[in-house]
Amino acid sequence: MTADRLQTYGPTAALLALAAVFAVLSPQFRTLGNLQNLLDAGAVLAVVTIGATYVLLLGCIDLSAAGVMGACALAVSLLVANSRTALDLGPLGVLLVVALGAAFGCLSGALSVGLKVPSFMTTLGVSAIGLGVATVLFAGVQPAVSDPWLLQWASGRWLGFTRVTYLAAAVVVLAWLVQRHTRLGRYATAIGGGEDILRLSGIQVGRYKVGAFTVAGACYGLAAAMVTAQLGSGIVQAGAGLSFAAITAAVVGGTQLAGGRGGIAHSMVGVLILTVLANGLVLIGVSPYVQRAVQGVIVVVAVGATLWPLRHRLEVVK
Amino acid sequence: MADAARVAGLRGRLAARVPERRHVVVTAMPVTAFLVLLAALAVASPALLETGSLLTLADSAAPLTVLAAGATVVVLCGGIDLSVAALASLASVLLASWVPALSGAAVPAVVAACAVAGAVQGLVHVAFRIPSFVVTLGGMTLWSAVALLASGAATVPMPDSTPTDWAFTRLGGLVPSAVLVALATVVALAALMRFTPLGRWVRAIGHAEPAARLAGLPIARVKVIAFALSGATAGLAGALLVARTFSGAPTLADSLLLPAVAAIVVGGTAITGGHGALWRTLVGAGIVTLLRVGLSYAGVDAAYESILYGVLIVGAVALTIDRSKLSIVK
Amino acid sequence: MIEVSGLRKAYPGVVALDGVSLQIRPHEVVGLAGENGAGKSTLLKALVGLVRPDSGTIRIRGREVRLRGVAQAATEGIGMVFQEQSLVPNLTAAENILLGCEGSAVRLGLYRWRRLRELAQAQLDKIGSRVDPMARTETLSFAERQMVEIAKVLAIEERTRAQPVVLLDEPTSVLEAEEIETLFGQIERLRKHASVVFVSHRLDEVLQVSDRVYVLRGGQVAGEVDPATAGAAGLHRMMIGAEATGSHYHDDLHRPPERSSVRLSVRGLCGEGFTDISFDLIRGEVVAVAGVHGSGREELCRALFGARAVTAGQVLIDGEAVSLTGPRRAVRAGLGYVPSERKVEGVVSAMSVADNMTLPYTRPQDVEEWIGRLRIKTPDRRTPIGSLSGGNQQKVVLARWLLTGSLRVLLLDHPTRGLDVGAKSEVYRLIRELAAAGVAVLLLADSLEECIALSDRVLVMKEGRVTVTLDTPPGAKPDPVDVVKEMV
Repeated sequence: MTADRLQTYGPTAALLALAAVFAVLSPQFRTLGNLQNLLDAGAVLAVVTIGATYVLLLGCIDLSAAGVMGACALAVSLLVANSRTALDLGPLGVLLVVALGAAFGCLSGALSVGLKVPSFMTTLGVSAIGLGVATVLFAGVQPAVSDPWLLQWASGRWLGFTRVTYLAAAVVVLAWLVQRHTRLGRYATAIGGGEDILRLSGIQVGRYKVGAFTVAGACYGLAAAMVTAQLGSGIVQAGAGLSFAAITAAVVGGTQLAGGRGGIAHSMVGVLILTVLANGLVLIGVSPYVQRAVQGVIVVVAVGATLWPLRHRLEVVK
Repeated sequence: MADAARVAGLRGRLAARVPERRHVVVTAMPVTAFLVLLAALAVASPALLETGSLLTLADSAAPLTVLAAGATVVVLCGGIDLSVAALASLASVLLASWVPALSGAAVPAVVAACAVAGAVQGLVHVAFRIPSFVVTLGGMTLWSAVALLASGAATVPMPDSTPTDWAFTRLGGLVPSAVLVALATVVALAALMRFTPLGRWVRAIGHAEPAARLAGLPIARVKVIAFALSGATAGLAGALLVARTFSGAPTLADSLLLPAVAAIVVGGTAITGGHGALWRTLVGAGIVTLLRVGLSYAGVDAAYESILYGVLIVGAVALTIDRSKLSIVK
Repeated sequence: MIEVSGLRKAYPGVVALDGVSLQIRPHEVVGLAGENGAGKSTLLKALVGLVRPDSGTIRIRGREVRLRGVAQAATEGIGMVFQEQSLVPNLTAAENILLGCEGSAVRLGLYRWRRLRELAQAQLDKIGSRVDPMARTETLSFAERQMVEIAKVLAIEERTRAQPVVLLDEPTSVLEAEEIETLFGQIERLRKHASVVFVSHRLDEVLQVSDRVYVLRGGQVAGEVDPATAGAAGLHRMMIGAEATGSHYHDDLHRPPERSSVRLSVRGLCGEGFTDISFDLIRGEVVAVAGVHGSGREELCRALFGARAVTAGQVLIDGEAVSLTGPRRAVRAGLGYVPSERKVEGVVSAMSVADNMTLPYTRPQDVEEWIGRLRIKTPDRRTPIGSLSGGNQQKVVLARWLLTGSLRVLLLDHPTRGLDVGAKSEVYRLIRELAAAGVAVLLLADSLEECIALSDRVLVMKEGRVTVTLDTPPGAKPDPVDVVKEMV
């Protein structure tokens, strides 16, 4: 029970402690302006992490965010008003790109379920495919976005926050509701808790697995549009490092790799932890490469911490 | 009743034969694919069959082969090492910066350092019971961050290339030394697997870890050794890359991760562990290299290469995987 | 309700069901009794579609059906409460009860929690359970979870509009006495809604709750018993059948153990599943550990081999303390272990006979000699062990521990499970020979008969402790019924 409680409140406590430490160390960290920066900086990671969380709830893992986001970033920058194509689809372009992301997610899920291949392999493959598609679309010339509507996502502010941040907040709430109150969300959680039991109850598990992967892909598509709005152009590396950062955030927040535990709320605490850490380290003058190293270590530590109470029960770990 | 018994008996015998059939398919396919590719390329461009261009082709495959060779041992254990490419990049940075001080001893020092890095990952994996792909994913991020820090995110030129000249020369003006290094690496690892208990133990752990454990095998030690070997070959692959670019760079080898994983699985080594061999990775690296060259001959944009790796990895894993071991696919 | 006739199911090397025929009538509690491997589990699995029989028919309410899975069995009105519980731990009790058939509780993919709660409550009310339907399942006690499980099975009533048949597979094995009484109360309530099939190895329980008892033996129905007239002893004799002869167990090879020299000494051993275990094994002695599922004997056996954590206590072999930190240390100390799950834990199926035999050793061994000495039937040493019969696979596992000549204590966990009669006898012969050579053997037998026939002594374990020690020398074997009395 204490271990259970630790996993529920531990991440929140860590977040508060981290914020307190940085607030003491850096006067700049304490400003309102920094809070705005912090949330704006965390918006994209939050949306990607939502996607990753749905897949983690199943007990699967999704390494495809980097590739899918690359392809979607290029696609969105070519679909809205831009420097390379004559297209000017505006909001429809963004919708199409979310659908493209969903299609990639659906592919990962279908390959994993249909071919019975572990998800880290299929998503690694799909990530490579996404990067390839991105490179093909890139074709050596970086498309600059000129659609004012999309660009305003990142530039215009309302009550101090960009639209990207509001959008991310809306997605968080929606994703939380879906996870709690829809069949997709509940079954995704249940699959992580005991896939074999669901099969015994005659539930078509594969369908819901593919569904969760599809939701994840859609999140990556939206995140790619958000990144593109922030950068003002479509780049292949739009999602570089985000697959890993999202998994780190989710796991640090208390969503477990084994599936069925945690969820959107937990993962968002993890996103805040990572964002505060990145922001605070910059403010106290630590190299961004050190932050990357820290990220590599904390995911291992976080997974280790969640598995530690179970170490005697797990006989085989691959 | 008797009929039913006969049918059941027949089914039993068929089931026993399945592993053999699987074995034939998995053995024949990579070799056939390799030969077919070679033949197709030769038809498309007869000049390719000249010794010179074949050797150049082999030379270009050498770093990939070395990188994939050590990682194959980890895969045979049933794990995976996603950190090899990042570690090779780090090795290139370390080598370029250590050569001024250590000169000839720099290469062994880097290989040893990478072996230690691999062993640390293995230790974390077995001691904290964290899945290998998580540990090595974390390792990948960590090593590339260390490489960026050590190099200041810039290319590190090597002031004096003599300590690595041996790895980028042509013996008798013809045979690329890197090809020999790659072959020697594969042969050495294969010999280690064939003539010491390590090979039997790695396979047993890959096939059936519970049985291996209850037979009293030193599971933790074998896994740590496998990861150390993987680290060491990553270091050597980094050295081969430095030898041909005369410099180290923090992302020099990063693009080799997908081709390396592809080489392992396309050769027929199953990611579920147990099934597979070192020579398969040699064939796999050959297939990956031929496909890459073939695409450029066919005039396909290099941008499609990544798509190819993605399809290859998923396809090959799907063909070689041992599904009897996965009751639930995660 | 259900009529089974001539049901047959064979696995490679063993016939699990050999022409089973029986009937289950409305509002009836039918007991199934039989030893391990008698076919009880296979029969239940066939009734819920988890096992497809090779031949024979299942008729439900007069109509012949071919069951393809639990879901289809549910639509026919058959549900099973599994031995290992089948509830998703991180869902609420209500979700588990209605899993896969939420009906009006989910509209357009959206959960209507209030409706879900009502529907689940209705199922719980049927058995008078006071479990909170909105509690997360993992926070409930074992007995409460069992109630949820029964409620879940009863929910199939809603789907068929016919009276359901509930199969209970060893539901009492992990329950306390009080909880068992509650469960029996539930079974009485169930009778109003359903027919019940009750499986337990505790014969007194079977007799107490059942209207009729079928006894299974070797995959066949050995007889039908009326609980009103039969006693546990009679039931047990029917389960065992004709007494096997001494030659089956190679009694002629038996040598009295050397009383003076202690081989294995266990002092106050504690761990998960067992507490304060102390006993000695002397050279050449075969000691069997008897106990029901959950008695802790499997856990003890694995702990002695270093494959499970030990919290306190000491183990000595020939007077020297042994470190129990892992199987490798145990092997070094002269221990050998033959696990019950042969295919998963005993052998590496894809590797050769020779590799399997020499697995833990670094130096080459004389494999051919041991293939000959143990009469292992294999084309050659390079044959994958997976293609051998179960008995020959088991001999390879035994050879693994014999071939260095340094074996001092052998732990046998159900060494004859799934073997045919001839192969069993071969394994018995090997055990006798080993004991005669001075090895101390700790045996978890597959059947009570085997346990008594093969051993010099029997340790009875109950709830994690050794409660009684019985001497079982040749010629003075106790009655199995007396041993059963100590076990439950």
